[in-house]
Amino acid sequence: MSRLGKRQNQAWFFLAPAIIVLGLFLFIPSIISFCYSFTDFNMLAPKLAAFVGIANYLKLFKDPIFMKSLKNIVQFVAFVLPIQVGTALGLALIVNKKRPFNMFYKVAFFAPVVVSLAVTSILWMYILNPSQGILNSLLAKVGISAQPFLNSSKQAMFAIIFLSAWQACGNQMIIFLAGLQNIPKSLYEAADLDGAGKWATFRNITLPLLKPTTVLILTTTFIDAFKMMTQAMIMTQGGPLNSTMTPLYYIYRTGFTDRQLGYASAMSVVYGFGIILFTIVQRKVTRADEGSGQ
Amino acid sequence: MNKRKVLGVLGITVLTSLVLAGCSSKSKADGKDVTMWVQYSKTDPEGKAMAKNITAFNKENKKGYHATVQYIPRNSSGGGYEDKVNAALNAGNLPDVLTLDGPNTAAYAKNKIIQPLDKYITNKSDILPSIISQGTYKGKLYSIGYSESGVGIYYNKRMFKDAGIQESSIPTLKNPWDWNQFMAICAKLKAKYNAPAIDMQIQDHSEMSLYAFAPFVWSAGGNITNKNGTKSIGYFNSKESQTAFQFIQDMVKKDYTTTTPVNKAFQTGKYPMMLSGSWTITELNTSYKHLDYGMLPYPVSPMTHKLVSPTGSWQYAMTTSTTKKKAAGALVNFLSSTKQEYRTSMTMSTLPARKSVSKLMEDKVDPSLRFLMEQNILSGHARPVLVNYPQVTRTFADTVTKTTYYKQNPNIAKLLKKQATTIQSYLK
Repeated sequence: MSRLGKRQNQAWFFLAPAIIVLGLFLFIPSIISFCYSFTDFNMLAPKLAAFVGIANYLKLFKDPIFMKSLKNIVQFVAFVLPIQVGTALGLALIVNKKRPFNMFYKVAFFAPVVVSLAVTSILWMYILNPSQGILNSLLAKVGISAQPFLNSSKQAMFAIIFLSAWQACGNQMIIFLAGLQNIPKSLYEAADLDGAGKWATFRNITLPLLKPTTVLILTTTFIDAFKMMTQAMIMTQGGPLNSTMTPLYYIYRTGFTDRQLGYASAMSVVYGFGIILFTIVQRKVTRADEGSGQ
Repeated sequence: MNKRKVLGVLGITVLTSLVLAGCSSKSKADGKDVTMWVQYSKTDPEGKAMAKNITAFNKENKKGYHATVQYIPRNSSGGGYEDKVNAALNAGNLPDVLTLDGPNTAAYAKNKIIQPLDKYITNKSDILPSIISQGTYKGKLYSIGYSESGVGIYYNKRMFKDAGIQESSIPTLKNPWDWNQFMAICAKLKAKYNAPAIDMQIQDHSEMSLYAFAPFVWSAGGNITNKNGTKSIGYFNSKESQTAFQFIQDMVKKDYTTTTPVNKAFQTGKYPMMLSGSWTITELNTSYKHLDYGMLPYPVSPMTHKLVSPTGSWQYAMTTSTTKKKAAGALVNFLSSTKQEYRTSMTMSTLPARKSVSKLMEDKVDPSLRFLMEQNILSGHARPVLVNYPQVTRTFADTVTKTTYYKQNPNIAKLLKKQATTIQSYLK
């Protein structure tokens, strides 16, 4: 065997575990799901599944709940992305400076990340309880009347946005912190000697040098935000009046509660391609931005 | 280990396997070993009662049948047990007998997962009509509930007395209150305590919604669908159905009930009434012993004065895939007989599914449970048996939610027309 052939075999050997795991749990299910999307597969009657062409795809574009869920998730992403990433950056800047109890702050800010999302959702249900929740008690002290929060079709999504940003920003804070600590101190010293203020230093040194970290965080947060389901499932079951229904929760409900796997698969395919498309556009935009910044 | 030893061990293993395989194929051929799946844990009171029932079946049946139970607990979001059933459906390895929730009957029967039980069940006239109706699809009995549930209005006796509500004006099962009388009492209570008169669990968007509020529709003479379950337009939005939803809306509008109740408000004496199921009795009797409470019947439509109350339960059914019909049928019949159901209901503090069990339990149970047992016999109404029940119940819950948003949906007729169209789209 030639040297190149040997190296290729070695490469395949190292790739094999990833290929097998991804194949079994990602690629094969995706292909099966794509095939199901052209059938009327009902989980209770798997043997009776019949080919229905693109009927499921035509149906979903007329499905008001699916369309509403798309609108909801766009709203969620549009709000959660800047809030979460902005807060994470702010927290990273706070803990990056040497001060007493710094470790305590790091742990406190990171703590929500290690708690299960289901647990934090239940915790926040208590906090947001309109009659007994601590948040309404605090609002009452500053003269604001009790808010319905999760019981209001106008407020429920914002409550979930806030909780989601709070829960996940600790994770991004750690990544930002690593990015911040990689910035050479000499640059800050030089800026200081040149008489640059705090804002100018942040704008001209910190932000540009954090760009690769920011792009990574934006991309992962963006994809994660589009997959939001647990909070809606536990806190509101997609309500009130579908105001917190997300595509992923709707797909889950259609597939596993209503047992319409064919239709749920069609929604998964459309939604999956939608996220891929969004991610490509986002990457192109951020890359173009990187290019112009150089 | 030398070669000969290895060969010897292998030989013994092969022989043992062959003998065991022979035994198992023999018993399978006999059709006497039946397997059953249930949705609770072996350590639950229900599981303990089942273990006793199964021991009794294996001991008492004269045909030599032997049942084995697999306990697959169902989690709070409905997964676990159902996931296992769904997976087994696809893999084709369902047990001979399984348990299923009442509303699943039609979907399971239509898709030939379960088969008719009629000829295996004895003493059918003793079974509550709501149980028969819940398990019947297209005229055949496919599943049989082994206990019942019910909902009533729990009331705080002291709060009623302090609000000046006379004993004589308190309704009974024979003389229930209509919606107007109910609202008049709510008005008194609200004025006295400056709080909602009742927690109707109206904020619950789950199965509780259809389960608890459909009886108002039925009491008014309305319905969710026609008898065949093929049409909703003209039924769900009929004038009779409209009166029921108007009643719900008025309750919220006048602040007699609330979509944001205080947690455990009834239990802690903050609200004088609560609409809840039979399962609350155990909680009140164990955790809120100080509470002097009683039970009141479902309010009825002033137009019909017909008492209708909700029912529903888990059931036993025989799978279509079983090759041991006689043994499976005998097991279902045994488990749903008076003696076994009595054991289950007493252990679980659930309502009985048979009249004979009711009689046996009458003197031994809490007065509130006895009240619900009587209400069930008088007025129990099963939920509709529909193939696409999950979608229908969700639309019903959605309708109740929309009704409570009275500013956005002041016109009940218009709302119900739209919702009836949605329900009809699921009735194929």
